Amino acid sequence: MLRVFLTAAVAVVIAATAWVFWDRARGPTATPIAGFSAPFVFGRFAVPPDNPLTQEAFALGRHLFYDPSLSGNNQVSCATCHMQALAFTDGLAKSPALSGGELEFSSMSLINLLWGQERFFWDGRATSLEAQALMPIQHPDEMDQDLDALITELQASRDYRRMFRKAYGEVSAENVARALSTFMRMLISSDSKYDRFLRGEVRLTAQEEHGRKLFMAHPDTKVSLRGGNCIDCHSQFLTSGFRDALDGFSNNGLDSDDDLPDGLMAVTGNPAHKGFFKVPTLRNIAVTAPYMHDGRFETLEEVMDHYNDGIVVSDTLSPLILEADNAPEAGQGTVGLRMTPDEVQSIIAFLNTLTDEGFLTNTQFSNPFEGDG
Amino acid sequence: MRIWMTGLAILLFVGGALFFALGPQRTTSITLTFHAKMGDHPLVFDEFVYENPGGRGTFRVRDFRLYLSNLTLSQDGALFAEPDSYHLLRFDNPETTNSIRLNDIPLGSIENVRFMIGVDPEANGSIQPRGDLDPNSQMAWNWEVGYKFVVMEGTLRIGEEVSPLVYHVGFSDNAREVDIQLPPDIAVEGDVDLHMNVDVAKLFDGPTQVDLRKLSSVKFNRDDAAMLADNYAVMITPSFK
Repeated sequence: MLRVFLTAAVAVVIAATAWVFWDRARGPTATPIAGFSAPFVFGRFAVPPDNPLTQEAFALGRHLFYDPSLSGNNQVSCATCHMQALAFTDGLAKSPALSGGELEFSSMSLINLLWGQERFFWDGRATSLEAQALMPIQHPDEMDQDLDALITELQASRDYRRMFRKAYGEVSAENVARALSTFMRMLISSDSKYDRFLRGEVRLTAQEEHGRKLFMAHPDTKVSLRGGNCIDCHSQFLTSGFRDALDGFSNNGLDSDDDLPDGLMAVTGNPAHKGFFKVPTLRNIAVTAPYMHDGRFETLEEVMDHYNDGIVVSDTLSPLILEADNAPEAGQGTVGLRMTPDEVQSIIAFLNTLTDEGFLTNTQFSNPFEGDG
Repeated sequence: MRIWMTGLAILLFVGGALFFALGPQRTTSITLTFHAKMGDHPLVFDEFVYENPGGRGTFRVRDFRLYLSNLTLSQDGALFAEPDSYHLLRFDNPETTNSIRLNDIPLGSIENVRFMIGVDPEANGSIQPRGDLDPNSQMAWNWEVGYKFVVMEGTLRIGEEVSPLVYHVGFSDNAREVDIQLPPDIAVEGDVDLHMNVDVAKLFDGPTQVDLRKLSSVKFNRDDAAMLADNYAVMITPSFK
């Protein structure tokens, strides 16, 4: 009897040991993310074939996103400038630079990145999320981390070795970028009041509905159509910049030719792109103040004032902005939409329907090193 | 007797195979290449090099694009209609051209090419993405109006004064059919290479001549939009070698 028991025990031990070795030696066991859905009106999206969405990659990316050891001084994580409660912005005009002073641009929100313009950063210098992900990590004023040093650090961690093995196989800078991209791609906001309105579940208030109509209309005094002209740059459902080519970039009249920054021209070399910046999504815009690439406007009222009568003319200013005017007579010294205060407030009311509380508090997107993560 | 039968069978088989191999082509491929022009010359973007056709001043083009849809090819009454045929033609590339390639169309040759500038009413009233139709793109107005069919944006300069030019033409009524008869010898080994000019100048200098200063924007005014549609109806013409 004892002999049988011992034999069985030895067999179990051998099997367990073999399984442990086999589990370490075999390739990644990633599970495709199947259970996510996005609104039909968001349209098509593409995931790079060499970086499929998997649960293991998402879990790894989430850990990396919140881990300050990704920075040279081990104090700055991606989440330092991209905080969930602020729709992954940081509430500052410009984040502080490591070497003192502040960074060149305002921190961008991270929402619905599977759709819309496929270039990233305000000036579009990254052509994929995978390319984008490693840039702030290495930037001397952002996270100032050497990639080889980072990989050595991650390899020293048993948890990371396990997570990388399951998601991709090896610990590498390429796989860091892939995992962070997967996490960012899954930051989907699709349950705002506007989404529920589109699904036919709720009604907008009269003021919100008025704002929605203004948002979607380019003004035409010839047929007495009033409009806020937002849709000329912000697509109607995504509210982001357009996907095709460089359609998602524009000069929205912030500066004169004398002090117009290069923007997209720095990337394309085309003078017609001077002062062009990425049109951001307006999803959760109420919580992502301050606004514009340099955070110059503190409130949505200030933003609307800019479009209403504060447009600064420059050579590359969008003709759609220069032309859009709700007043039939020629303007006296100012350029802008010239809407009534009621109309401005209606557009702001509509913009507030784009806030998605579920997104801002979704525990799947929160810091996994804290609480129940 | 048996040898005769076998011989005959072999002959029939070889002959039949030869007949089908050397017989007329069963399928044809076609490349349609659209060349953006201003008059006789390739379109130049972002430079004040064009005269206002109906008045004073020079203008530059910042953007020009159009929807081409419902592409149909035919031969002797046999018809091939491309499924989900919605193409956005944009020309912001060094050659200012745009090509559509259709492979292995089940027609022996192609005698006639037809398409629409614009979008058919059914697709124009839908937010279903198909072909190049995308309700989240720059070409969408909103689902109550549909898509912009032809877009031209730019700037007019008269002396020191500059003013914006915005021509967005839509509305289902303003789709225009283009019908092109091909010369009989255009196919080379089952391949048709069709070149067409898209003359932006026709938009303002077709049946109606437009003074860009007086009519600097067209958007929702139905009469203005229909007038530009009649102009762009003759904008695309074949250039046979």
